[in-house]
Amino acid sequence: MIYLDSAATTLQKPPAVSRAASFATTHMASPGRGGHQPAMRAADTVFACRNAAAELFHVEDPGRVVFTMNATHGLNLAIKTLVKPGDTVLVSGYEHNAVTRPLYAQGADVRVVEGALFRPREILARFEEMMTPEVRCVVCNHVSNVFGFTLPVEKIAALCRRRGIAFVLDASQSAGNLPVFMDQLKAAFIAMPGHKGLLGPQGTGLLLCGEEVETKTLLEGGTGSLSARQEMPEFLPDRLEAGTLNVCGIAGLLEGIRYVRKKGTDRILNHEKSLTAQMAEGLMGMGHVRAYVDQKGDSQTGVLSFNIIGTDCEMAAQALGARGICVRAGLHCAPLAHKSAGTFETGTVRASVSPFNTPREIQLFLREIARMANT
Amino acid sequence: MVYYLIVCRSLTYAQRTASALERAGITTQILRSPKVIDQEGCSHSVKVSERNLADALTILARVELSPKRVYIMASDGSYKEVLL
Repeated sequence: MIYLDSAATTLQKPPAVSRAASFATTHMASPGRGGHQPAMRAADTVFACRNAAAELFHVEDPGRVVFTMNATHGLNLAIKTLVKPGDTVLVSGYEHNAVTRPLYAQGADVRVVEGALFRPREILARFEEMMTPEVRCVVCNHVSNVFGFTLPVEKIAALCRRRGIAFVLDASQSAGNLPVFMDQLKAAFIAMPGHKGLLGPQGTGLLLCGEEVETKTLLEGGTGSLSARQEMPEFLPDRLEAGTLNVCGIAGLLEGIRYVRKKGTDRILNHEKSLTAQMAEGLMGMGHVRAYVDQKGDSQTGVLSFNIIGTDCEMAAQALGARGICVRAGLHCAPLAHKSAGTFETGTVRASVSPFNTPREIQLFLREIARMANT
Repeated sequence: MVYYLIVCRSLTYAQRTASALERAGITTQILRSPKVIDQEGCSHSVKVSERNLADALTILARVELSPKRVYIMASDGSYKEVLL
């Protein structure tokens, strides 16, 4: 099998991830809920993961690293803290439903900052134009989950700071392979999954909370602190972590983060970009394939969309699956991104890589696409 | 043995407190606060020896981790709050 669906979930993980999750299953109890050894062992692991994440993402206080179920959970917390009905919110034209649906549910006045694919400067200029005084919040992904398009989020965050607008970053496709630094971005929130670039198990995620944000809860319940009171604690992370944490997942996530830190995000990014360039070159040389590639710039990471002309994208993905190649097709839960790129009607086939893919796998993938395109 | 309990608002805060002290060479232990000193329900405390309390408080002030309260365990097993 050749797995090229890491934008959804990385499947190949460092072996320590499953070992740690498995060990936690039978050796770790509820952190903060008991003073016995299994509870304290769990507490140590959770704290180690919080610290490792704080160091990787430059968060000064590890207490502001909150464990979530996934990026969607974190984005819901962020958006429902910051956005009230009727508030004006800017989003890029490449957002996922994890951003747009919570905004819709909140009744926000959502304004889409349109811009062509792989034109970061154009998008930045449009953001600057549209940051008018009534804008309450900007929510933006770092990398499009459909096209691998890297948005100029450092500059967008700087514009937000200058204008006093809250900034929320969706780092779903960038955590683990691009620099994501809270101390530089000074975002209100940064949300990310644990199961993609951080190489942890599914059911894990992180929400990094800015220093000056008073958070709202999505869930209320036990925290192992201030138990005599009926209000949720005001302090983080307890305020946003009601109920027993996913300790098994967090134990695995800790090992994933350790791997990323040891390998280095720059090396991971270079590897993934190199594989993407190999894919792009191969696909663009095929007459019956339309590939969405940043040919001039440097704004594409390890995600690439394409279509085989005359073949439905879902049928193409299914045919690849039957050949043992795992990709994803359709709208990728990001209809807005497809509208922005002009692929809403057709959808695309998406191939996305991880640190564990090899040039040989890309070669085999290209060979199968060439065969399909010629039949 | 006489020891002090530095009461913290949360487990994470207790872990940060213990980490800061351990880094400075002070041995600590995190434990759930005894019920009698736990004014608002569950909390965690960091246990330090009698001789280390002054240094511990200096270090915590330096890293801006202020204790919620500090208790001393008396020889009869009771706890008395230490006025800081």
